[in-house]
Amino acid sequence: MANVEQREFAGPEEIRAAKLLVVGAGGIGCELLKNLVLTGFRYIEVIDLDTIDVSNLNRQFLFRKQHVGKSKAVVARESVQALNPDAKIIAHHSSIFEKTYGRDFFKKFNVVLNALDNRAARNHVNRMCLNVDVPLVESGTAGYLGQVTVIKKGITECYECQPKATQKTYPGCTIRNTPSEPIHCIVWAKHLFNQLFGEEDPDQDVSPDTADPEAAGDAGQEALASDGVTGGVERSSTREWAKSCDWDPVKLFNKLFRDDIKYLLSMANLWQHRRPPTPLDWGNLPDSVPGSSTSAQDSDLLEDQRMWSAKMCGQMFGRSVNTLKERLKTKVAEDKEHGYLIWDKDDDPSLDFVTAAAGIRSHIFGIAQKTRFDVRSMAGNIIPAIATTNAVIAGLIVMELLKVLCGNYSKCKTVYLVRQPKSKKKLLVPCELVKPNPACPVCSEKHEVTVRLNCETTTVKTLEEKVLKDALTMVAPDVEIEDGKGTILISSEEGETEGNHGKFLKDFGIGHDSRLKCDDFFQDFEVVVNIMQSEDLERGVEFELIGNVAQLKAKMDAKAASGSTPRNGQPNGTAETTSANSDVIVDDEEDIEIEEEEVEEDEMEKDEEEGAGDKMLRKRKAENLEKDLGSKRPRVEPDQSDDDLIVL
Amino acid sequence: MLENKEIHISEDEAALYDRQIRLWGLDAQKRLRGSRILVIGMRGLGAEICKNVVLAGVKSVTLMDHTNVEKDDETSQFLVQRTDEGKNRAECSLDRTQQLNPMVHVYKDTESVAAKPDEFFHNFEVVCATCCTTQEMIRINNVCHSRGIKFFAGDVFGYYGYMFADLNDHEYLEEVHHVVSTGYGAKKQKIPDSKMAKRNSRFITLQDVLDFDWASTKGKMLMNKTPETYFISLVLLRFRSEQVLHNAQLTKEEKQKKVLGLKNTVMEEIGISDSIVSDKFVSYCMGELSPVCAILGGVLSQEIIKAVSAKDMPHNNFFFFDGVDGKGLVDCIGTYE
Repeated sequence: MANVEQREFAGPEEIRAAKLLVVGAGGIGCELLKNLVLTGFRYIEVIDLDTIDVSNLNRQFLFRKQHVGKSKAVVARESVQALNPDAKIIAHHSSIFEKTYGRDFFKKFNVVLNALDNRAARNHVNRMCLNVDVPLVESGTAGYLGQVTVIKKGITECYECQPKATQKTYPGCTIRNTPSEPIHCIVWAKHLFNQLFGEEDPDQDVSPDTADPEAAGDAGQEALASDGVTGGVERSSTREWAKSCDWDPVKLFNKLFRDDIKYLLSMANLWQHRRPPTPLDWGNLPDSVPGSSTSAQDSDLLEDQRMWSAKMCGQMFGRSVNTLKERLKTKVAEDKEHGYLIWDKDDDPSLDFVTAAAGIRSHIFGIAQKTRFDVRSMAGNIIPAIATTNAVIAGLIVMELLKVLCGNYSKCKTVYLVRQPKSKKKLLVPCELVKPNPACPVCSEKHEVTVRLNCETTTVKTLEEKVLKDALTMVAPDVEIEDGKGTILISSEEGETEGNHGKFLKDFGIGHDSRLKCDDFFQDFEVVVNIMQSEDLERGVEFELIGNVAQLKAKMDAKAASGSTPRNGQPNGTAETTSANSDVIVDDEEDIEIEEEEVEEDEMEKDEEEGAGDKMLRKRKAENLEKDLGSKRPRVEPDQSDDDLIVL
Repeated sequence: MLENKEIHISEDEAALYDRQIRLWGLDAQKRLRGSRILVIGMRGLGAEICKNVVLAGVKSVTLMDHTNVEKDDETSQFLVQRTDEGKNRAECSLDRTQQLNPMVHVYKDTESVAAKPDEFFHNFEVVCATCCTTQEMIRINNVCHSRGIKFFAGDVFGYYGYMFADLNDHEYLEEVHHVVSTGYGAKKQKIPDSKMAKRNSRFITLQDVLDFDWASTKGKMLMNKTPETYFISLVLLRFRSEQVLHNAQLTKEEKQKKVLGLKNTVMEEIGISDSIVSDKFVSYCMGELSPVCAILGGVLSQEIIKAVSAKDMPHNNFFFFDGVDGKGLVDCIGTYE
């Protein structure tokens, strides 16, 4: 036996000499920095673009009240430096996407440790680490749950080897015509905010949807003919209309909550098996609070946890509309083109508006109303976060780091923290690392993805912004058509291809089976996008991303088997597709992933992220799990984690 | 325990504790707000526990330790300064603990726990013992058990750690999930909903755990299924009782040899086969490893939070962490049921 004995953990010399990069100085980052310095690490760089908020202080223990508003990276460095004055700790108050942090920057580290809260940054760091072949320890927490894993080029799966589930989306007609859950009303109210004050998005229409296949009749048309003033079809745009009446709250209210509802009622097919909505009139709003009990109980609640009556909703609606209107006018005066408001869960008028509008709509449709406290969570996608989970996960990161540092990859694990032991008493569940996916669009030799879209209606701008930048998280892509001529479709150099933006893909001869070579010089990431022409995408869906050729093939086979019937009425978003349009509610600081109700038997689920997150969850094939997990696999049960993650 | 105390959460507190109130609810936060916690032993694990419960927003935390800061504390005790070597651990941890959350009362106690009369422990809702000998733990546990005070114990030995809990007869609330139907006819929809259910969990004392008869039929059956870390912890607790664990006079090799010898003694005493525990652990059981303190401290603190907030199923009655194989196991040890 030739033996250079593999040590289990790095020793003191390796620890002292190691250079580490910590990406993120939030919940996990603070705990991690403390552990690293105590463990004896002497060279640490930490980067975070965020500043400290009061809601961070219950867990990000390196920060105090007087630090609110200051750079997380800088304050964390100062606090942790005191633990060991000999350690060299460098803080960067900056975004990891900045050009300064290119290959040369990443190359100087022995290991990179992610303590991030969003998928775009995780994807980016994953790619940078693969580029320069530096091992990465990846982690995330959500409520009581957490996980840690190790990513090493050629040895393990990379962060993007498995497609991540996207956020739950809701069909347009449910939002516009037939809401049945509180979240439907909240999504509608956020759309309304954007229609009235934000960046207008045609996919976020709030008026009755006359093309609802379920309405499938002409009732709506009739009503329209008989009553010219109601209905959502004839007006050019909600914003234009609101502007024309100077956002008069009473007019807005009566239009949205009375006339539009009357119009919906005229689409009789919708209400055959549903409770029909009740139109409300501004002048006659009920003042009782649905389902509320004595006022004595009220005193036990936080201000934000009190339920508003319809009348109170009306008042708050009027007040917030007036405030937001003035703000919008100021913004437009500053910048005519980009002068619009951005919804923010921490901005009082914005939150009041959505709480009130969603409350009124709930009232109309007989749906349980939500308090301002709950609306902030649901509309702002807050992932609850606690110190203890972050402490456990940050401890586990260092345990993996000590193995990575001495090259002991065979002993590295993905470790999950679950809420209650599910199998074999395990609260911390170690699983074997998975080998790289040979079809991974990021870490395999052949970088290819397939995108299903309609070349007739998809613009170059949509391709760039929504497919390449959002879905594939590229930063500054160059795109060349593989048409034998090397036509440049998109250039990352300013001023070269802006003229193409409004044109459709078909205008460049792009169609079924066209190949687009997309290159991000900064990420050193290249991918070929195969176009799959499709005219039967679900309504409101602009494209579907299909991870790799094998998945695509399986999908096509399935389609052939089912007699190539269009997927009418089928639920959107199966595990392997990513529909990137729709009601993805994203908050950069804190967002959430939502698990589907039905979970495939063989999959292990895990959610991500400290206090923010990812719109993703990892689904993992059963065969990837450590053998000794036995037949009963530890699963974070959907119902349970729903609870952790706020029910959406 | 379950009745709601007259505690008011101010809007300032609501802002500070926002992310956790969204997780465990306002009632649980109010119960936390009314709890007084005693943490015995201010080494690495004690520091982690203090940090976590102070951040969570309890009423008060008392840091208790009669020993002085040593060189070793540099690698796990983040509440003291390097310049504090030779000064009392509790005293030196006070400032930084207080800074973590000005809304919590933080006290120090520099006396030895051995010098405290039984009545002393009556002042707390939770007592958490670290760095104590087995005899000390048994005594404190018995006092707590008889008064319905929640008792916890824990230690970190190198890559290993354990937590023990005796919550006596513990009532708690748990969220139960079910599905409600809305709409009617073909459009009937199922929406997940939840409600709170009252539950109960019964714990035994550490004395009962240690009295468990491994030679009994049940004991023989469980021997192989019991986490190795339980037996390793027994050996290291004995090592501590013999006052050699933190003895600076001994070299690492001498300590390891001593531990191996103790392993055989302890295994023989409790009547289990020597082969249940591999000798490998002796190379990994010295000092307090910071990440292990963080992991054990995180789990233990969450159990304290669960216990005082009377929310969610507690881990009955041990949690073990084995950093060498990465496992974290919950097990109920010492019952014949």
